[in-house]
Amino acid sequence: MTPGLLLFVAACALAVSIVAGPKFPRVWLALVLVGTVSLLGSAVFVLSGAAPAAEWRFAWAPGGDPIHLRLDGLSAIFVALVSVLGGAGAAYSLTYWSDHHYPRSAPRGRAWWSALVLSLVSVLVASNGLHFLIGWEVFTVSAYFLITLDRGWRQVRAAGWLYLAASHVGTVCLFAFFSTLSAKTGSWDLGPLRDRADLAPLLWVALFGFGVKAGLFPLHIWLPSAHANAPSHVSAIMSGAAIKMGVYGLMRFTGWLPQPSGFGTAIISIGAISALLGIAFALAQNDLKRLLAYCSVENVGVITIGLGLALLGASHGHAAWGQLALAGALLHVWNHALFKALLFYGAGAVLHSTGTREMSRLGGLWKTMPWTAALFGLGAAAISGLPPLNGFVSEWLIYLGLFDSVTGRGPTAWAALTATLFLAITGALALATFVKATSIVFLGAPRTKAARHAHDCTPGMRRPMLVLALLCVAIGLAPLFFLPAISRAIGTWNPAWANIAPAAPLATLTPVQVAIALLAVVAAIGLSWYSSRRGVPRTGTWDCGYALPTARMQYTSGSLAGIASGWFFWILQPEKRLRRPRGFFPLESIRLERTPETMLERVIAPFGGGVLRVSTAVRRLQHGHLQSYILYLLAGLATMAGLVLVLEVFQ
Amino acid sequence: MNNTLNLLIGLAMGLNLMALGSGRLPSVIRTVAIQGMVLGVMPLLIEEHIQWLALAIAVGTVAVKGFVIPQLLQRAMRAANIDREIEPFIGFIPSLLLGAGGTIGAVAVARVLPLLPEHAGSLLVPGALASVLTGFVMLIGRTKAISQVCGYLILENGIYLFGLLLLKATPLLVDAGILLDLTVGVFVIGIIVDRIQRAFDSLDTRKLTILRE
Repeated sequence: MTPGLLLFVAACALAVSIVAGPKFPRVWLALVLVGTVSLLGSAVFVLSGAAPAAEWRFAWAPGGDPIHLRLDGLSAIFVALVSVLGGAGAAYSLTYWSDHHYPRSAPRGRAWWSALVLSLVSVLVASNGLHFLIGWEVFTVSAYFLITLDRGWRQVRAAGWLYLAASHVGTVCLFAFFSTLSAKTGSWDLGPLRDRADLAPLLWVALFGFGVKAGLFPLHIWLPSAHANAPSHVSAIMSGAAIKMGVYGLMRFTGWLPQPSGFGTAIISIGAISALLGIAFALAQNDLKRLLAYCSVENVGVITIGLGLALLGASHGHAAWGQLALAGALLHVWNHALFKALLFYGAGAVLHSTGTREMSRLGGLWKTMPWTAALFGLGAAAISGLPPLNGFVSEWLIYLGLFDSVTGRGPTAWAALTATLFLAITGALALATFVKATSIVFLGAPRTKAARHAHDCTPGMRRPMLVLALLCVAIGLAPLFFLPAISRAIGTWNPAWANIAPAAPLATLTPVQVAIALLAVVAAIGLSWYSSRRGVPRTGTWDCGYALPTARMQYTSGSLAGIASGWFFWILQPEKRLRRPRGFFPLESIRLERTPETMLERVIAPFGGGVLRVSTAVRRLQHGHLQSYILYLLAGLATMAGLVLVLEVFQ
Repeated sequence: MNNTLNLLIGLAMGLNLMALGSGRLPSVIRTVAIQGMVLGVMPLLIEEHIQWLALAIAVGTVAVKGFVIPQLLQRAMRAANIDREIEPFIGFIPSLLLGAGGTIGAVAVARVLPLLPEHAGSLLVPGALASVLTGFVMLIGRTKAISQVCGYLILENGIYLFGLLLLKATPLLVDAGILLDLTVGVFVIGIIVDRIQRAFDSLDTRKLTILRE
């Protein structure tokens, strides 16, 4: 009963906050926090086992079907995630996107924020295909309005349109999926249907529909521009929670429906490709938020590798490594949400104080923005999968699953081996990417005036970042504490795997993590004690022994990643313009490099251009002359009659 | 009986060609009116036992097609002060040739069609096809709104001829409904013609291309 009550309170608080939001920012924040804390409470009740997974059926039937809600282990994982990011983002936005700076869009943004959180939760608890689709659509639309809050800019509007169009392509597939499902089962009600083998092929449709939202390669085309151009708190919830809805859909329905043959291998391959190419694109970016956006493609890829391996484990009857992989995937869902939101908040703080996302215009911000820099650095370490933080724990679980699968020498060994290699390369490139992001933005000397006069974020923005950073550290140091929640979700996904949690690997991991953390703390304290006693001399960074160093001598973001992104030039297809300095007194020299979104600009845009050309040519037929229209009609009739005649003759 | 019917249909087919060939609006309207009256008499020839139902249809059709609609059109023409010359898209000789070709083609096609034995000997089907084709030629080949209405009326007459095949199966209400629709349509067009004339100083439908979207 209690989770239901808490959900009801949350729904009421969020619904009221939609109305109150535009006028009263502080009331809105209080209501959203009440709502998200109750959401978190209901999720914790279910995940901790204090309350059983609950189902509610109501007599009220909007759209002709009675409402059917369900909060089980799997949806509770995602509800917890939405609640954390919803609350943190609301607190962050109050200073970041304040009424003072954005008098027109800030009130609007608050209402849409509440609508987004509410619709995300409604998708998660809906157990009826019709209401799932309604929630999904409301969530898509409110996310669109949040992305285009700053719609005065052309590229923001373009990003919004792209997002809306791509989302709806995915939604069309979901419509097909849910309506076919309801036609075959005779009801819109959703639930476990593991013994209906005829429903298995539907998962391919669901893979496309949810894959667009999750941003799996090559369906990720909307993701970079939308995440880069949205306000940072919106980017954070989009990247942390909204694209996880795609992951949720995949997990939900792979758990409920039987899998078609080859599905696990397909998922693991898509995951591996997304992970590798996502991080390759991230490495080549010069825009801080675009880099983070591509990194989301990578992390969704990592999650998908875990899910694919779990599917392989389930179909081949290997509970041990299947469980490990699924635990890794589920934990990575949380972890990615936490550190990606932290990083987006950090990027938002940088953008807020310097006015640019171009890494080549930043630099040396650690001195002026110590809080932001430290928290961003922590997030970067976590996302690179470095111990003792949370990213390491989840990737380690996936690695363990992969290793067990490889050493088991079953039919899945080759898929697992390939995925392991991809994951390893991805991990290395992720580290390179975040070395680049952190060092170009925060280390070295400021490259522009804006970077020189940066100021640190206000406490209002710092607090949510601190909460997320603490959660990152907590999952890293005490993964066992979070294990019951994960194992409950695993039990929901596959009831045969309930109650056999992968506790042993985490029990061995915890002391190592704690030891590394202690070592790091001791080393930090020792270093600061040593430097304060010795009085370390301070000089400019990157002066390389020159007498008169300038900030332009530093590595740029392009040059730092140059070699590694060169390995991927076949897919990145960077556009280069180079004019070398000539003569003894060179006047002007240029080197420009831009990494296009290859899938969008080289595949989809030309295809769209072709469609547009053809339809423009066809449109010439529509000139307004009634006589010709009637002639078309007659010609059409004659063609049909001719067709019928020809068919008659041939038969 | 069948001979009289065929004679009337032949007359209607001839009127088709007259409508295509005449160069002035009043004569086209008159031709269409006569055709309507000729067709209106037909139900009386088809029914063996003349009931009050068939009688009502015949009287209604003759009244509406022979008198009401031509009156409406002539009033619209007078009110809009229309130039009586028809400016054709497709010239008179070509449209006559098209109409004649269509009529011959219709007779040829009707032989191929799998008809009921009792309809095989009659000209009903070729007459209907020829009228539909003539209607289309007029709709495509004429520029003035009123002459297009006449084309539409001829087209409708063709459909009506088809309908005679099913006379026993079609209830009176359907016939009455079609007739009412037609009258209202012509009535409305009569008003619109006046408005178009005032707004654009012309009834040339080629000039009405701005509102295409």
